[in-house]
Amino acid sequence: MKNKKPSIILFQCQYCLASMQDQYWVEHELPANVKLVKVPCSGRIDPMYILNAVQGGADGIIVCGCMPEKCHYKEGNLHARRTLSEFRNFLSSLGYPQERFIFHWMNIDERAVIQPLIAEFEEHLETLKPQTLLKTRTFSQEGS
Amino acid sequence: MASTRNIKIQTEAKRLLQEKAVDVVIGFKKGTLPYKMQPCFIHDAKEVEQLELNGLCSNNLAVYLNHRPKGEKTAIVVRGCESRVVQALVLENRHARENLYLIGVPCIGILDLQKLQADEQDPILAVEEEGDQVRVTYRSGEKTFKRIEILHDACLHCNHPQPMHADMVIDEPGYFEDQPYEKSYLDSFRKLSIEKRNARFKEEAERCIRCYACREACPMCTCEECFVNHSRPQWTDSTTNPAGQQAWHIIRAFHQAGRCVSCGACERACPMNIKMTYLTDLLNQDIFTEYGFEPGVDEALLPPFLTLGDDQVKFTDQQEDNHAG
Repeated sequence: MKNKKPSIILFQCQYCLASMQDQYWVEHELPANVKLVKVPCSGRIDPMYILNAVQGGADGIIVCGCMPEKCHYKEGNLHARRTLSEFRNFLSSLGYPQERFIFHWMNIDERAVIQPLIAEFEEHLETLKPQTLLKTRTFSQEGS
Repeated sequence: MASTRNIKIQTEAKRLLQEKAVDVVIGFKKGTLPYKMQPCFIHDAKEVEQLELNGLCSNNLAVYLNHRPKGEKTAIVVRGCESRVVQALVLENRHARENLYLIGVPCIGILDLQKLQADEQDPILAVEEEGDQVRVTYRSGEKTFKRIEILHDACLHCNHPQPMHADMVIDEPGYFEDQPYEKSYLDSFRKLSIEKRNARFKEEAERCIRCYACREACPMCTCEECFVNHSRPQWTDSTTNPAGQQAWHIIRAFHQAGRCVSCGACERACPMNIKMTYLTDLLNQDIFTEYGFEPGVDEALLPPFLTLGDDQVKFTDQQEDNHAG
């Protein structure tokens, strides 16, 4: 079990990756330990989705959205930032450390940023102790 | 027998009903058990003698506003927490303020029957309040408590016991004074290590039997369909396994972020004595530090999750912090 790579859930706004190559990479060439949840806008990410990932045993969570003023739906990203950063605080006080849950707000001219971001995050997660505090289900039972 | 407080409430209710200013007055009357009060709906001026208010009124009356017909002129007896709920619901456009008449009563605190039962095993026969003293008759004999000893925890941590935004306030002294926002009892929880905080949360959450009494007692739980009742897709486990119990407590609390007025009605309704106001208070404390918002206190300020303020500008400045995670 020691060699097992940390499982990461990537919540991604469908508009935030402006480059088609990046989007292709995210959709088809993600490493096996990263799962993609593509949403219409980061504002669509309900805290319940995050909680589901946490309870399912995700070691890390990345929320990717657009920069302010670049949101396709005007202010979905601002809403996501308000609620999800508060939810991150809340989870950290109940047993899911803050460092396992990161945000990344993409700029339109960013190219090939998501790959090193995921790799760095994975490296960071490997240095941490495994988290099982809020984990209540195994991956196989998750979903449906 | 009736205290001057009750007489003043009754006089006001009678006046409102006789002048046909309101259709119904929501208040408390004596319940079937000697030490329990129950909510009542007074439609007729002849029935106002039933109205009473004392430390045993444990429900939050504002919850019944959500079940009344739309457009009904309603008068409601409010203490501090109830008045803030009404204000918060009005801000969320749940009710029209002009249809509501708030009879404010300075709060005398709510007694926690659990604290009385914990002392002795024999049942309570009667509870009488005289100012600072509370006389409790058990089967085995009488016992006198100081009010502060047996108040509910939520009342001990209350910051605004005086009714706010009320149309008239009963001229009787309350038991507390208003204080600036502070939930210092949370400090000890925040100082614990993450494992201990998690253990404490699990210990509380995993006694849950999923009866949803907390939801029914909560005046701010106004959803038509709750996320736990939704079956297609099913968001959370609906059984009493740890996953479902924890998810219910986390998401229920999060739906109250910046909305909960910390009345503690959920705790008093809980048949398993689960402590849960600390969850919403944790969130509210964060929101108070971040946005300076207190639910139901300001007349026009919207809750932080309903508005975006000047985030567009601020967010751009904070870019780098967000990257760091």
